[in-house]
Amino acid sequence: MVQVMTGAMASPATTTDNNGYMLEVNGLKKAYPKKQALEHVTFSLKPGTSFGFLGPNGAGKSTTMKILTGIVKADSGTAKLFGKDLNREPDAVSKFIGYVPQEITLYDKLSAYDNLQFFGEAYGVGGKELKQRIHDVLARTGLLDRSKDIVSTFSGGMKRRINIAAALLHRPKLLILDEPTVGIDPQSRNHIFEMIRELNREGVTIIYSTHYMEEVEALCDEVAIMDQGSIKAMGPLGQLLEQYGRNSIYLEVPGLTELPHDPDVTSFHKKGSGWLLETEDSAAVMQRLLRLASQHQWDVKQLEVVRPSLESVFLKVTGTALRD
Amino acid sequence: MKAMIIKELRLIGKDRRSFIFLLLMPIIFIVMFGSIFNQESGSSITLRAIDQDQSAASQALITQMKGIMDVKQLPADHVDDQLDKIKQGQFSAMLVIPSGFEQSMKSGKAANIKLYQDPAAQTETAPIQAILGSISTQYREQKLTGMLMANGDTKEQAAAALASPIHIENVSASSDHLNMIDQVVPGMTVMFVFFIMITMARRFFEEKKTGLLSRIRTTRIKPLHYLIGMWFPFVLTVIFQCIILFAFGHFVYDLKLGDIAALSAVVLSLSIAGTGIGLGLSFLVPGEGAAMVITQIISMGGAMLGGLWVPSYLLPQTVQTIGHFLPQYWAQHSLLDIIAHGAHLADIWSAALILLAFGLAGLAIALIRLPGFLRSAAN
Repeated sequence: MVQVMTGAMASPATTTDNNGYMLEVNGLKKAYPKKQALEHVTFSLKPGTSFGFLGPNGAGKSTTMKILTGIVKADSGTAKLFGKDLNREPDAVSKFIGYVPQEITLYDKLSAYDNLQFFGEAYGVGGKELKQRIHDVLARTGLLDRSKDIVSTFSGGMKRRINIAAALLHRPKLLILDEPTVGIDPQSRNHIFEMIRELNREGVTIIYSTHYMEEVEALCDEVAIMDQGSIKAMGPLGQLLEQYGRNSIYLEVPGLTELPHDPDVTSFHKKGSGWLLETEDSAAVMQRLLRLASQHQWDVKQLEVVRPSLESVFLKVTGTALRD
Repeated sequence: MKAMIIKELRLIGKDRRSFIFLLLMPIIFIVMFGSIFNQESGSSITLRAIDQDQSAASQALITQMKGIMDVKQLPADHVDDQLDKIKQGQFSAMLVIPSGFEQSMKSGKAANIKLYQDPAAQTETAPIQAILGSISTQYREQKLTGMLMANGDTKEQAAAALASPIHIENVSASSDHLNMIDQVVPGMTVMFVFFIMITMARRFFEEKKTGLLSRIRTTRIKPLHYLIGMWFPFVLTVIFQCIILFAFGHFVYDLKLGDIAALSAVVLSLSIAGTGIGLGLSFLVPGEGAAMVITQIISMGGAMLGGLWVPSYLLPQTVQTIGHFLPQYWAQHSLLDIIAHGAHLADIWSAALILLAFGLAGLAIALIRLPGFLRSAAN
């Protein structure tokens, strides 16, 4: 048994299973009348992980999260948090989970403080402790000075921050965020990213769902790529990039309409004003391109090695580009 | 549950639409109906009179009539103009005392007076005819008394001889006939209590539509606590609404509230009935639009059939029978018993229980439908 570290946000002591996992999801299936939403979704998380669910709309990310929070019941499969079945012992595990839904679920006519007070009490926190925690989460969101203002007067980004704050009052060990940055300005997005990183540093395990690659790259150390109700690939970000990603070379030469054949280039396509060449041996290809440039006196504007991206991984494992 | 109740009370407090429906509208209706019926009850019979005789006897007759009704005396040459006005329906009756009235009386002949009237307005002219008949009888009694005294009878003997063999004793008895303010204040209160159903349905569908209900389900609030936590604030709201409306009736129209304990029991039962039905409705209908339509049918239909607009005894027997199946009837009936007929707790407990039964039936429907409502919110 591995004892979980208790950080600043941690609540009463909890234990992981023999493998050191705090969350074990096994074979989740869910069908709606006209759609198979989930098909055998299986994954496990160790404490302190920042886990990203990446996939297009309708991939099954939200359904998975709703099953983990008890909103939706799975047709089959199990999900265990700290060894306790979410379906059979919801009361025992719900106190460890904080859920930030995709929608802004706040009472528009109430103040930020009143909203937080309601959600705090709904999670079983009260009295002076709740007051202190409301103060803490407002400070964390940078909205301490707006606590008495009515939520309807807030910008989209501010509402999103309070939406997250409402899930932190009971100090969860697992924070599930379902596309929490939809439709907000870059400043608020950065603020939210910083909040999530800080929570993760404090020991809170994060499950973050998004269809933005850059969000996963910025926040998560483990990723599951979901499409059409199942996990297509999963693992640490670096490992996925290494396993599925390929180095590319970007070449920009004005007037170059055709690329000479190179045996080490597996594929190439136009990108912007230049060409993107995929290869297993970027150094050799780069050398040959420099030689050609010298021979033909190309006016090379740009020649660089492009590191493998999550976009290329997604393309590789799903066969399609990530669509919004 | 406490968190739910506090939150919901805060939201209701900030809901202007509910304030308009639950308080402002009934007050406007009470004021409107109150002023109409107050004017009617204060009106008296008005008779236009033309004295062509201009004698002491004719003036004595008009003075006597002025003590009984409102008499508007007109110039002697205006008879034709006034007759035209009767024909045009501008007023319904006119009395003309012709020349020679006093002379006929002194000579012992029948002194004629003419009452012109609109035959289509018999309801209005009948009391005038009755009053004139009564005055004529008084003149006859005076004449007979004079004749008997001339024959040697004393004044007492003459009075005894003219006394009617029948004596009518006035005994007051409670009836269904009411002062209109007694009818209007509870009537409008009961009618607008049921408009709480719109607010309730709107709140439940908002919670569902915005995802708040799903989010609340991830907290430690149980479904039953959610239901009760949403319901109870509306019960308090209706109690507050009734207090305000009855206080308005009491202080503005001097409405007698009767036994406060009995009144409180009915208000509590009514609030449970109205909100209980609202709860059931919110969980039965597919959307907010349907809830609004059904609420209006229940509120307005119930008001009409339950005797909230006009007293039940004025409605056809079939409608009165249908009214017995409506909560509005039992609420109004018991409130009128308390306010107008001095009923106490012992007199209204059965009506209060019937109201509670309506509320509990709504609660039972909500409990049965709750799991499905929660499932639909999740998707």
